[in-house]
Amino acid sequence: MNTAVRVNTTTYAVTHIATNMLGSIRAIIKGSGLNPDRIREQWDVLERGFAAWLASGHLKTTTLEVYDPRKRGDNLVGRFDFTIDYGYYPGGDGDLWLDPDTVAYTIRKNGSFPAGCEYRIVADCAPGYPEVPGWAATTYRSTTGFTRHTVGTAIGGGSLGAGLAYYTRSEK
Amino acid sequence: MSRAVAAIPVRTSVETWEAITGLLAPADSAGRSRLESVTNIAVVLITAEYTQQAPIVVMPSNGPRIRIRTVHGVDAEEARTEEVPLTARPCADPGWTMSLPCGVDDIEEIRDALRAHPGIEVRDVTEGITVGEPAPSDVTEGWSINYGELENP
Repeated sequence: MNTAVRVNTTTYAVTHIATNMLGSIRAIIKGSGLNPDRIREQWDVLERGFAAWLASGHLKTTTLEVYDPRKRGDNLVGRFDFTIDYGYYPGGDGDLWLDPDTVAYTIRKNGSFPAGCEYRIVADCAPGYPEVPGWAATTYRSTTGFTRHTVGTAIGGGSLGAGLAYYTRSEK
Repeated sequence: MSRAVAAIPVRTSVETWEAITGLLAPADSAGRSRLESVTNIAVVLITAEYTQQAPIVVMPSNGPRIRIRTVHGVDAEEARTEEVPLTARPCADPGWTMSLPCGVDDIEEIRDALRAHPGIEVRDVTEGITVGEPAPSDVTEGWSINYGELENP
């Protein structure tokens, strides 16, 4: 996998981040012992959403929410956020890069989820975002009792950066 | 016969597969529908850049095999300007098969996903072509196919 290339257009930065963010989420899913079928089966819808909302500047965060459907009520068991920073590299010179080590570190620190856990992918967008077919409005699961750990920027392109963070339960 | 198709960052993974399907089969054809039905499988292989390391190989019912590689990163922009359509679309007629390259970490998942798509198979990216019989016009007694050559750029 490439770790750094140089091009000069914002469009390429959007494409680079949209696709590699999805690839990184899939890596987390596989590395955490979750079934990758679901993200693969939704790939086209997810990628179109990411690309559209990055291009329009509305995408704030993409989240992998992991939950245990056997639990009642708050059933969140883990969460991973890619937070978009539109000013990560002001006057960015066109470098496009991906740091798979940041993702690998996050997977190692988080560990695996129990069998039977499921997941969904949520995009948090600013008001006024363009509609993308296949997406529906939702709300995040509660993160009460969880601690957020910021890892660092995992993907960069042009002026854009995607910072990775994960959540672990902080109280029993 | 081989072709190179520009991928990320010039195109998203889905757009890249759409460009490949456009090379291989006419719009609204049965072949195009069959290719589109594996979009969400092929895009995983494109995103992981397996299709840059080794070609997608199409074996039409008649005629030469087609090798398609994707070009990623800084070379993708130039690759897009140099894309050349095929003279004949190998998936226009029924009977074609396809071999997709895949890394060992993903191959079982992708193989399972392709079970519902007979004629489209996955091979280890480090190996030669492992699926499909030679196209009928290629069958000639005393000849063999150099699978290693198929892997060359």
